[in-house]
Amino acid sequence: MLHVLGLLFWLVIIPFCIGMIPANFISEDKRNPGFVMLAGYFMMWAVFEVVAIPAVIFLKYDNFKVASVSFTISAILCAAVGVWLTYRNRKKIKLHPMPALSWAERIEWLLFFVLLGFQLYKAAAYASFDGDDAYYVVESLIAQQAGVMYRILPYTGRSTGLDIRHMLAVFPIWIAFVGVKSDIHTTIVSHLVMPFVLIPLSYLVYYEIGKVLFRTKPEEQDSLFHRENLPIFMIIMCMFQIFGNVSIYTNETFFLTRTWQGKAVAGSLVIPALFLMFLWIYSDAGRKPETGTKAKRFGDVGQWMVLVGINVTAGICSSLAVFLSCILMAITAFCLALTERDYKVIIKMGAACIPHVIYIAIYLFVGYSHLWI
Amino acid sequence: MWGIFLESVVVFKNYMGFHENGYLAGIYLFALLYLWLTEKDKHRRTFFVYVPTLILFMFFCPLFRKVFVRLMEDGETYYRLLWLLQMSLVSAYGLLKLCGRHRRIGLAIICVAIIACGNYVYDSQYITKAENVYHLPQDVIDIVDLIEPEEGRITALVPADLIYYVRQYSTNIELPYGRQALIARWEFHHDLYDVMEESEVIDTDALVELAREYPCAYIVLKENRKTTVPLTQHGFILYERVGNYLIYQDTQVIKAEFASN
Repeated sequence: MLHVLGLLFWLVIIPFCIGMIPANFISEDKRNPGFVMLAGYFMMWAVFEVVAIPAVIFLKYDNFKVASVSFTISAILCAAVGVWLTYRNRKKIKLHPMPALSWAERIEWLLFFVLLGFQLYKAAAYASFDGDDAYYVVESLIAQQAGVMYRILPYTGRSTGLDIRHMLAVFPIWIAFVGVKSDIHTTIVSHLVMPFVLIPLSYLVYYEIGKVLFRTKPEEQDSLFHRENLPIFMIIMCMFQIFGNVSIYTNETFFLTRTWQGKAVAGSLVIPALFLMFLWIYSDAGRKPETGTKAKRFGDVGQWMVLVGINVTAGICSSLAVFLSCILMAITAFCLALTERDYKVIIKMGAACIPHVIYIAIYLFVGYSHLWI
Repeated sequence: MWGIFLESVVVFKNYMGFHENGYLAGIYLFALLYLWLTEKDKHRRTFFVYVPTLILFMFFCPLFRKVFVRLMEDGETYYRLLWLLQMSLVSAYGLLKLCGRHRRIGLAIICVAIIACGNYVYDSQYITKAENVYHLPQDVIDIVDLIEPEEGRITALVPADLIYYVRQYSTNIELPYGRQALIARWEFHHDLYDVMEESEVIDTDALVELAREYPCAYIVLKENRKTTVPLTQHGFILYERVGNYLIYQDTQVIKAEFASN
């Protein structure tokens, strides 16, 4: 029972409460529990990255224990701030009733949930072999059992120096943290618990994307993009994931066979989340004029906070994810600058990439420190 | 430059599964082309048309590939650039747009097309029924439970097929060599691995000599693995049998560890 409570606290309550921080700084039409949970996860992972990296670099012994204590305090503080902000703004928060669904839509949503449930069942009842687990899952387990991060070679158990390729991508360490807090073996957390978190989270991103693409109130004669297409969109996304195994390299294959690995999170959660943020920030579909000075000032701040959080999360996944995220941001900024005829977008997107610059600087500093130290 | 371009073509083909008759990429390229022709909303056109097209262009650009490989010091992960295409997202949006108001029949046709062109992920040879909550082979768990010390760590020599799993269950078991030795392209040479895995009949003298250098408290062998001389003639005892595996305990090492504790 304590295991379940530990999981609920660290995988549901804490991220949701942290997500309330950016939720207080976005326009009302975008604020919903799905956004809060997604934003919370990205902000939480960002906090974890910020707390864990110094411990990895500067501490040799018990660095996981130090990172763990620091993250516990930081996460609870952030969650408390989120709750306090929401309490302070409680009068302005309006709960939107669920839109009425036709019988056809209900059946389509049911079909989607059957497909989602099928993927979760397969994730729980079937084991997926991947050689990289000998590194990532064992890295989590070393943190849990020895209290050390990236100082022991996972393959053999011998001592090792810092491995620049992996040491900044602390996703396995976050899994270890969840394992420690819920008192569950991290291999179980990786293989059994994580799919139940990461698969629904990915579909939550697709759902939010679908909500932007398929509006509640379509423009005149634009029934094509009516909200009733949303469950169909979600079913198609499910089908693509289930049948996307055309090779072992696709992000769809990674999504369902290596769900718990940072690189899979990068391909199936971080990159789609970047698309979601682009759509939210730049698509007219999500824009409604805000009233009041404060609303004008803070209308979009929450979205940019989450965008920065996603970029930091890319770093927690893998160093390559940082590179991919940089490329996507750069290409999108370039295209938007041309289509919007607004070159400020390059500065804005560039500013959102500052975490990447810091990440790359640390990567180079630690990776090539042998040249000057 | 032409050679580098052709390398990217091969990576693209392998990624899209053309060599195994996977044509999901066809659906994607069709949806992308359709969006090129019909998408009017400038933001959606940017995110679902221009950005993927530019990424594809960059992927095939030899100069970009050169820079990527130099920066990442690794060409093997170049395919991950294709993750930015978000095939499923762009395809789903494009196909739904194409279906227009015929959404239900459209859904049926799209699902059939995905099934026909794709590959069912759970048919993968790497996915098997889970034997326990760890999603590890039960033999590994039984073996580790038998040899794991109550305190401290020990080193064990295990067959190649167990190497991936042992330390996923307990990090108190150390291995003389790990996964590096199993991946040929990593060119990781290890004498003990050569003795243990590379010859048809294990040279017991060499195995025992090298194993004691670590020292390995246990050696796990497959039941049908042949040795020049039984391990029991070198101070080992047959400790336990688990499934198809025989666990030998090195009494010398155990005694030495007991004495040092």
